[in-house]
Amino acid sequence: MTERTPDANTVDNSKQSPSRISFIALVRRELRALWHDPWQLALVSYIPLLGIFCLWWLFSAGLPRQLPVAIVDQDHSQLSRMLTRQLKANPVTEPQNFTDLTAAVTAMKQAKVYAIVVFPYDMKKDLLTGHKPTIDVRYNSQFLLVGKLLSSQIQLSLGEGLLHVAGLKQLASGTPKSQVAVNLSPVKSQTTALFNRNNNYIGFLVPPVLVALWQLLSMLVMANSLNRELHLNPMNIDSDTYHDVSNVLTVAFWPKVLAKMVLFTPILMLQGGFILVWLYLYLGLPVAGSLASLLLAQSVMLLAVWSLVLLVFVVMRDSARVISFCTALFAPAFAFMGITFPTHEMPQLAQWWRLIMPSSHYIESHVSVVSYGAALPSVVSQLCSYWGFLCLLPVIYFLSRKLLPITVNATSAVTAYDSDATQPAKGQ
Amino acid sequence: MWQLIMTELKAIISDKAIAVTLFGGVLFYSVLYPLPYLHQVPTEQQLIVVDLDHSSLSRQLIRHADASAKIQVIGQVGSIAEAKRYIQTRKAHGLLVIPEGFRRDLLLGKGVTLSYGGDASYFLIYSAVAEGLVSAGMDAGKQVQLIGMLAQGQNPKQAQQSLNSIHLNSVPAFNPSLGYTPYVVPGLFLLILHQTLLIGTGILGAGQWRQRGYWQQVSPVQLIGGRILAFMLIYMFFTSFYVGYCYHWYNVSIQASLGLVALWLLPFLLATAAAGIAMSSLFTRRDLPTQVLLLISMPILFVSGFVWPLALIPEPLVLGSQFIPAVPAIMGMLELNQMGASWASVMPKWLQLWGLFAVFFGLAILGVKRRVRLLKAQVG
Repeated sequence: MTERTPDANTVDNSKQSPSRISFIALVRRELRALWHDPWQLALVSYIPLLGIFCLWWLFSAGLPRQLPVAIVDQDHSQLSRMLTRQLKANPVTEPQNFTDLTAAVTAMKQAKVYAIVVFPYDMKKDLLTGHKPTIDVRYNSQFLLVGKLLSSQIQLSLGEGLLHVAGLKQLASGTPKSQVAVNLSPVKSQTTALFNRNNNYIGFLVPPVLVALWQLLSMLVMANSLNRELHLNPMNIDSDTYHDVSNVLTVAFWPKVLAKMVLFTPILMLQGGFILVWLYLYLGLPVAGSLASLLLAQSVMLLAVWSLVLLVFVVMRDSARVISFCTALFAPAFAFMGITFPTHEMPQLAQWWRLIMPSSHYIESHVSVVSYGAALPSVVSQLCSYWGFLCLLPVIYFLSRKLLPITVNATSAVTAYDSDATQPAKGQ
Repeated sequence: MWQLIMTELKAIISDKAIAVTLFGGVLFYSVLYPLPYLHQVPTEQQLIVVDLDHSSLSRQLIRHADASAKIQVIGQVGSIAEAKRYIQTRKAHGLLVIPEGFRRDLLLGKGVTLSYGGDASYFLIYSAVAEGLVSAGMDAGKQVQLIGMLAQGQNPKQAQQSLNSIHLNSVPAFNPSLGYTPYVVPGLFLLILHQTLLIGTGILGAGQWRQRGYWQQVSPVQLIGGRILAFMLIYMFFTSFYVGYCYHWYNVSIQASLGLVALWLLPFLLATAAAGIAMSSLFTRRDLPTQVLLLISMPILFVSGFVWPLALIPEPLVLGSQFIPAVPAIMGMLELNQMGASWASVMPKWLQLWGLFAVFFGLAILGVKRRVRLLKAQVG
């Protein structure tokens, strides 16, 4: 992997040829750089911990419970009270009584309640006299998640209560008791949520959110580390830099990149592994397959992220722009994972964009291991979907040969003191 | 003052990193973020059927399920294990099991149980499958009931009536199509405005503090005032584009009047710009503000309360997040503009935004003063 110096390099290069630089020295140089950069240190230590913890805490309720529902009871009958009790018995809904409709509507508009149930005047009388009263239910679909859940739960609760009423009616008309249940609902349905049995939102939402966070962290760590190379003064070698390592960008560029990977891969895998351990071992979310195969998938995703960062770096070669561009690229990754909104319902353009994001490749493996218990061979075959990133490598290599010398020449022409484009990178 | 604003504007536009973030970012995200959701509602989810009955009624049930807009029956298999394999390879997202003797039991007046399964690793798919199947199953049940009642000699009209004794009229309010972009876009776009504004002011400040420049020659209050006004001038256009055109383009329901929305967004933008300047005095590296804001954007999105209900978010997080201008702004905007609340009811949040503006303005003055002092000490 030790490349010869690109021939376009005209900067005075009195240092040894890179083949003699030992790889260990390069890694130690990276370690030293990491140690002296408080922000990089934060990125690999407390920021991921804080981020993971906060995002988990946010969703820690897991199952939506006791969502406030406004009840406007204009009937005041035994029936309406029974239906209210039904709603109260449902863990998802928490009925709150309102005397008039306008107050309930105002509360709903302020998001104080998420749904309104109106029992109409004379509901019971209408029912007994053979009319067909209407119970109005309005649910807040601006908050789609809550709205959909409440709509189905309210219907379930009220339906159950009404079935009870209809059963009494049947008994009154002389149907034998054994026959009543069958008459009422001859076809019973049993709905099973496969793989995430209790519809837990922690199991559903938190893993992709944390993977998105982890992807951002690995992107930032690598981008910062590469950017640092831009700011090193190529003329004089800092007295405290490791012996013979040249600071010129083009000298031993690929070994330097490799050294960064060698240093940061274990650190970031530790974070990735921590996410898995935290979710599936400590919190005990159900997992069908083995976590080891997920670690493999994570490491491949990491390499894919870094190849993208490397591409952006060799094209942009300016620290603020590298960061801005990578941010623009990776920030919306969560939306494209296809967990909240199914992949096959996305427009074609979104499906293509999705393929650029390493996290969307990873999340497929994640779901198949965690939910379907996919074994290692099938995970490996899924990893083949990264082939596009493999094609990037020659492109990056070619571009780095072409473009990096331009930057080196430019910065050596302007001397150490330079324009506002490159700010000193060290410390703050 | 006018000259100061012009200098600020020039500094913003001539700085490539800021210009790219503001102009490029705002335009790019307005297309990219809602892109996955353009089809709004998941329909025609693939369903695999395990028909163990093979009767006329079971076939009718399958046809009914297929007719539902949410479901597309892709085939029949002989066993549940086989159906499971279909789901694991993602060829299907749900399964329907029709038990043996389905028709016979129904005609004999015994109850039967249909089993539905949906892949709950994807909630939206699961709810679509469940909704579609439950309605198809209820339909089949009603049909059987009706036949039974008619056979017992009831008159058809009454039979109809006793099947649905009470009518449940359940209707979504505010977002009538249950679409995904009207759900995500209003909150998300305010967050994008918030984050890009913070990044813009952050980079501008971080780039300046170490060098002498016009920022030293005016008093901190003047500088902050000028900077806020310059950014407000730019963000007037961005905000109009987002809240005006993009909301319309993405079918967001709109309830408030233009004047009220403008009145609402004024303290939001002011507070955000002031917060950005206050924050920028903490940085001297131009690549840092972007990174910090990138990392906190996801937590802000989730804590603002339109994705995950506020009632379920732990209290300390909710309280802590009240200092972020985007959090009250998003919630208030949803109440005002999407759910049609009255101005009086969002007033407390509006005042909160003005309060935040005052606090951040004060912090910004302190921060800029500190930077002036530091630079003087540095230069000597």
